[in-house]
Amino acid sequence: MIMNFNTAAELAIVCWAIGSLLSLLANRTPALKLPAFLLSIAGALVMAGFIAFYWSALDRPPLRTLGETRLWYAALIPLVGFLVEYRWKIGGLKYYCMALATFLLSINMLHPEVFDKTLMPALQSPWFIPHVVVYLVGYVLLAASSVTALHNVYLQLRKQENSTGESVSHFLALLGFVFLSFGLIFGALWAKEAWGHYWTWDPKETWAFLSWLAYLGYLHAFRYKIDKSKLQWYLALAFVVLLVCWFGVNYLPSAQNSVHTYTQS
Amino acid sequence: MVVVRRRWFQAPWEFRESALFTAVSVIAGFIIQVAASGRGIAMPHLPFNAIALSVLAVLVLSTGLAFKNTHAVKWFGGIPLGLCLILAIALLSLIGGIIPQQPVAKESLPVLLGLNQIFSSWPFAVTVLLFLANLGISLSWKLIPFKPQNLQFILFHAGFWIALSCAVVGSSDLQRFVVPINVGKANNLGYTMESETPQHLPLSIYLHDFSLEEYPPQLLLYDPHNDKLMMNKAQAILEVRTGTTASWQGIEVLVLDYLPYALPGKDGVPQSADRKTGIPFAKVRIITPSTQREAWISTGSPMLKPDAAQLDGFYLIMMPGTPKSFRSAVTIQDEQGHETNANLEVNHPVSFMGWKLYQMGYDEKAGRWSKLSLIEVIHDPWLPAVYLGFFMIMAGNILFFWNGIKRREVVK
Ligand code: HEM
Repeated sequence: MIMNFNTAAELAIVCWAIGSLLSLLANRTPALKLPAFLLSIAGALVMAGFIAFYWSALDRPPLRTLGETRLWYAALIPLVGFLVEYRWKIGGLKYYCMALATFLLSINMLHPEVFDKTLMPALQSPWFIPHVVVYLVGYVLLAASSVTALHNVYLQLRKQENSTGESVSHFLALLGFVFLSFGLIFGALWAKEAWGHYWTWDPKETWAFLSWLAYLGYLHAFRYKIDKSKLQWYLALAFVVLLVCWFGVNYLPSAQNSVHTYTQS
Repeated sequence: MVVVRRRWFQAPWEFRESALFTAVSVIAGFIIQVAASGRGIAMPHLPFNAIALSVLAVLVLSTGLAFKNTHAVKWFGGIPLGLCLILAIALLSLIGGIIPQQPVAKESLPVLLGLNQIFSSWPFAVTVLLFLANLGISLSWKLIPFKPQNLQFILFHAGFWIALSCAVVGSSDLQRFVVPINVGKANNLGYTMESETPQHLPLSIYLHDFSLEEYPPQLLLYDPHNDKLMMNKAQAILEVRTGTTASWQGIEVLVLDYLPYALPGKDGVPQSADRKTGIPFAKVRIITPSTQREAWISTGSPMLKPDAAQLDGFYLIMMPGTPKSFRSAVTIQDEQGHETNANLEVNHPVSFMGWKLYQMGYDEKAGRWSKLSLIEVIHDPWLPAVYLGFFMIMAGNILFFWNGIKRREVVK
């Protein structure tokens, strides 16, 4: 099984690599656009096909181990990336997504034992995958928004005119907020099935709510008469809250009674 | 740009007044909290909470519509106050995100202020109430007259209003009980988190069988002098299977044979047994710089001592695997005679007559041999309303996503 996985993963990564290369070249040679797109999609389809095959071989959804969940992320994250790029005309997102998927697959190839590392019963849920995929894509978008905003701040300090930069960071934040909202609600729906209640103010939930509020605040500040260039500072810093939510929660005093502090690699 | 300095409270009100108002409200909340000597807010039950919520909804919407053009209401339903309230909720949640949230017996200022139970405290309730008023008023202006282009706004804001208000108001009607049941017995007594005395439930659960499946056991090296488990070279979890190898400094271990369910035989060699009684046994070859030998080790069970292999002052031990799944076969019955058979498993709750039953836990000391199952029984009449809110927000999300960037290309 591991053997088949390596072949599938390598095939997918090669598709993504060549697809990315062609799509970079397509800036000069528009004829390459279509093959670039088809190859990039093919990478995700290879992973989707492998999941289907693996599923029927196992006779159960491949959802029991960490390694298995990464298969889903690797198939779905690029697909979501293409969809976002298609609707929102955000150039470059697909590269991030394919890189993220490649990274996740590489973990599995370098550490085949993650196929043995098992998930506790509560994590064996159909909600787990959409919840994590949506959050990972949301984080990618918001990280990109923060980096753009930081760059905008830098340009401001050097007194350079840069209104495209400001709309890019804005759109990324807007879209990232959509994904955070989905992630939060998927998490709540899953918690109801697994733990009996949709919201218990568990520290991880509280911090996820806080990061959502941070971007909610941004959206409304943007809609109001607030100087857009000042909001670049806000966007650049908002990501700090997300980082606390992702990595920091385990170190806070409140984490001692969290259901989310299972350590995973 | 010419900056015109606005005096305090000069219409139209904006951020300064909103911040002041929000701060005063939160402080007032804390004062009430202290005056109530640290006791949080007590929400009325059905139907009174539903009536109160409807009154609030009607009041907020009609105020918004009737006084649409007054400065005060414009301000009360505006974004500046909304932002200040979002910030207040964020700050209160931040307290809840840092300070452990649990009841504390000791009297102290933080406890009196409700900082250890911030989400059921007065300042939080006051802020949420104002938030609902603010959000509701801004909603009223977009609801009536209805325009299709406002649909996305309505889905987001009304969805959030419904989800938040019903979750808060309905929390008093949420009933959660833990029902401990032994195999072959029925129980209709449930325990809550808050009290030691059980309550009679309108349903009873009979437990036919409890079964637990484990992942394969793990191989570990134990140092009795320092009471420590030694990390192996690969730093990975070592699942026991035939052919598993492991190495610690100077010690090599190979699993020659693995029996997931076995019992010790007469001659000391374990024999395969059935799933119910058998325990994992492994035959290992241990190679140290000075010796090489073979031994059987086992995880043990409540009835059987574990077998470990001793070597150079260390013990090679086998730990039972972590639980993979566990389930209870039950018959549920209510007082009207409705009855159903079900298999309860983590992530697979079962609904019965308005209640939802969850496999929660078992006797962890007994592990696979547990004769006890803990079932959580939950009744939450407000759940459909909260989910309605969730689905409205998600519908708004999809619309938002699908509208994409096209119609927003000119932002500035
Ligand atoms: C504190 C109370 C709130 C007030 C007073 C408020 C008010 C507003 C207003 C006036 C707009 C601009 C609408 C337009 O220009 O068409 C807006 C946009 C928006 N609001 Fe709220 N809102 C509040 C809370 C929320 C909440 C809780 C959510 C999330 C569920 C939310 C999500 C949104 C979204 C997604 C937009 C669209 C942003 C955009 O298009 O850039 N709002 N809100």
